[in-house]
Amino acid sequence: MVVQPGEVTRDVGGPGAYAGTAAGAPIRQTSLWRDAWYRYIRNRAAVLAGVVFLVVLAYCLVWPAVSPYDPYKVDFSQARQNPSLDHPLGTDRFGRDMLTRTALGGRVSIGIGFAATIVILVIGVAYGAISGFIGGILDNGMMRFLDALYGLPYLPFAIITLAIIGDINFWSMTVALAIASWFTTARIVRGQVITLKENDYIRATRAIGARWYRILLRHILPNTLGVLIIAVFLELPAVVLGEAFLSFIGLGISPPEASWGAMAQEGREVYRTSPHLIVIPSVAIAVLVLCANFVADGLRDALDPRTRET
Amino acid sequence: MALLDVRDLKTHFFTREGVVHAVDGVSFSVDRGRTLGIVGESGCGKSVTALSIMGLIPKPPAKIVAGEVVFDGRDLTKLGERQLESVRGREIAMIFQDPMTSLNPTLTIGTQITETIKRHFDLSNERARKRAVELLEEVRIPNAASRLDDYPHRYSGGMRQRVMIAIALSCNPMLLIADEPTTALDVTVQAQVLDLLDELRESHDMAMILITHDMGVVAETADEVIVMYAGQVVEQAPVLELFDHPEHPYTEALLGALPQIEGERIREARLTAIPGRPPDLVSPPPACRFAPRCPHAGGDSCTETMPELRELRSGHWVRSAHPTSERAGRPVGASA
Amino acid sequence: MSGSLLAYVVRRLVWTIPVVLLVIFLTFVLMRQIEGNPFRTSERAVPESIQRNLERKYGLNDPWYVQYAMYTKGVLTFDLGPSLVLRQRTVNEIVKEHFPRSLELGGLAFLFAAVFGIPLGILAALRPNSWLDYGAMFFSNVGFAVPSFLIATLFIYYFVVQWDVGFPTSGWTNWESKVLPVVALGLAPAAYFARLVRGTMLETAQQDYIRTAQAKGLRRRRIVGLHVLRNSLIPVVTAAGPLLGYLITGSFVIEEIFAIPGIGRYYVTAVTARDYSVVMGLTVLLSVIVILANLVVDILYAVLDPRTREARA
Repeated sequence: MVVQPGEVTRDVGGPGAYAGTAAGAPIRQTSLWRDAWYRYIRNRAAVLAGVVFLVVLAYCLVWPAVSPYDPYKVDFSQARQNPSLDHPLGTDRFGRDMLTRTALGGRVSIGIGFAATIVILVIGVAYGAISGFIGGILDNGMMRFLDALYGLPYLPFAIITLAIIGDINFWSMTVALAIASWFTTARIVRGQVITLKENDYIRATRAIGARWYRILLRHILPNTLGVLIIAVFLELPAVVLGEAFLSFIGLGISPPEASWGAMAQEGREVYRTSPHLIVIPSVAIAVLVLCANFVADGLRDALDPRTRET
Repeated sequence: MALLDVRDLKTHFFTREGVVHAVDGVSFSVDRGRTLGIVGESGCGKSVTALSIMGLIPKPPAKIVAGEVVFDGRDLTKLGERQLESVRGREIAMIFQDPMTSLNPTLTIGTQITETIKRHFDLSNERARKRAVELLEEVRIPNAASRLDDYPHRYSGGMRQRVMIAIALSCNPMLLIADEPTTALDVTVQAQVLDLLDELRESHDMAMILITHDMGVVAETADEVIVMYAGQVVEQAPVLELFDHPEHPYTEALLGALPQIEGERIREARLTAIPGRPPDLVSPPPACRFAPRCPHAGGDSCTETMPELRELRSGHWVRSAHPTSERAGRPVGASA
Repeated sequence: MSGSLLAYVVRRLVWTIPVVLLVIFLTFVLMRQIEGNPFRTSERAVPESIQRNLERKYGLNDPWYVQYAMYTKGVLTFDLGPSLVLRQRTVNEIVKEHFPRSLELGGLAFLFAAVFGIPLGILAALRPNSWLDYGAMFFSNVGFAVPSFLIATLFIYYFVVQWDVGFPTSGWTNWESKVLPVVALGLAPAAYFARLVRGTMLETAQQDYIRTAQAKGLRRRRIVGLHVLRNSLIPVVTAAGPLLGYLITGSFVIEEIFAIPGIGRYYVTAVTARDYSVVMGLTVLLSVIVILANLVVDILYAVLDPRTREARA
């Protein structure tokens, strides 16, 4: 039998008969993601939302660096201007350019959003995976504990956590908001792990004697990836709104630092004369939340075609 | 005159991927008190045919684009929705494949039976409940009276299908359409439900359309059989004639795929799987739709012209250029 | 109906007790982590001896488990203790004065959300992909994304400042003063309801048992009104519990903007003043409300869906 040069490199390390299936598994995996991608880009609303989302991110990251205005410099002679060519979004009470300041606030708001979402995912995955994978009494106890935590209302819980840390800054906000909102993710992950655990292929893996950590790390957690990607876009807007609420009632980021919530609070004080000062940061929040919601919907439809509406 | 006469029925699905020709020119008729079996693989258009008769196809995307469904002298495709509602359940009843999902989980069994009766007859609550108990007894639910107020989750799959049969019988319809009524049931329960269905059809003097992919089920209950493939009827014959002298290569293959016990020995050529897949119904082959899988299709008319449904013998119709009886002497699979 | 339902309700009630105790415990533990106490803030120079007297009076020097036991006993006998900052007042008095306003605000907002949002969702689901549907979904998506402080501020800006249709900007007295805060707080939950109801109705309409109902010849009115709606309401009821948490969060902001002397506004004041017996009392109160709401939701769920009564034995 003549072996083609191309085949040799691929089949190294496995008996020929199994090479096909071994090579087949990852291919199937990638085509799954590719299918999801094709389904996603056919969803016009989700694509638009994703693009706007990226534009907002880019604006927040890049604009403060290239803007001609210093977002911290107070100049009362320029205060509370309406939008103009020089200042497309006007200026605030202290004469600072709103276009620049909004980008700066976005860095903090979205930054806290992503940081808290990551913390939520880490805690949620660890808690949910342990609870669901081990099961039994431990699972029961952990879930009852979660039930009790669900009883703690979100904002008061975050406020108390902030009070415990004692200092209000980027990281304490991140921790407070994450601590108050990881429960749902933990439940989702637990549910997913339990479903996967009962799958035939996991049972088969167990039957051939694979170790539990290998099953968990290699077979179960990678399969919760889809759920987790969706969770990012569900938690992110919730955290951004949470940060905005906290800052708005004066328990969050405080001036001269900016976050969208803190900017809205500042704008609120002069809403009668300069309504744009509260409208601009609020609309920024709304756009981000709206985009994240649409992206989450699009991802859900793309990753789980069963729930797709016709 | 036949009770139901379906003429050249075409039901298409208008989807983003294109027009799916799910049912593409199907004709058949059912006489009073008789059973017609419709067989074929999944996706051949059996269920869509049944739903088209009932006017229950999902619109959109589906639409009956041509044909007539003449039932008891009226063309059902021409009736308005309100008139159709009065036919459904009253004159034509239907039971579905999966009894686990076919009953509303949040309403009691009693409610689900009596609401049908009260919809079509002017009966008091008590009379309707009494009738419901009788029906449950008729389908052999033990302790029928006390189980009337149970919710479906208290019933097993087989019992739920019996409840579905009771609902179907509740208004003494003239025609019962059973869409794969035993497929989702345990093998041991399948025969019981099938026997019950056949017995009740007889005692209620109904006609029945039995849709299945199981040749054994057809052999047991049907008088007349049509075989569907890719949205078309490919063969039609009385049940014995079909089993004894199948003409279409597809029917042969289906029969070959049926495990059969002869005497004590399992027949030699058992469980021949049919190679290939049914064609894509968005762009089906322009000529014979079975040609790509047919062992007898050669470099002839099979890939150029669509064979007509023709009557080979009295009552035995076939849509193939190479029916068995015209192939005598030619080795099977010569061109494969 | 009802043995199994009654048994379920009793089980569920009994189960609520340890959850409440656990929440009290968690709150207590959390509160103890907060640095500093109200008598030792630098702004208030109180002689050392008086400070110690005060600490003794309020039990701040007892071991934590004694404090916890005393506190739990207090909560269970509906006594939330004294305020540490306003020494003439008890937390109970504060709750009695401020809570009814918040309860009314939240209740009316919830009512508004249900009465406005649910029918909107139903209408959208009855005519999917119609202009009505698109309009309802546009409202629902935007309504859920726009923060309530913007809605509230815009309400005041237009209805009071610009057009002056007779609503006051603040307070919680006559009905005119309640309209704007209620709508501002209820808009996002209404949007949420509309979206949820539409989604579940469209999904329910795809179910096999709906096809069965059609095959039985039932009238469309009965199919939609009984079969589809009843089954669609189950997820909506489940969502009503978490929505309460949202209303609490929202009321903090709305009470701030409309200067309503409710519990949310007082909470923020108490946190800033480190009046932690008040913060703790109010946190426990809000938690118990959330727990009770979830209890009601679960019982409603069991009434609507017979399967759950037995499944969650």
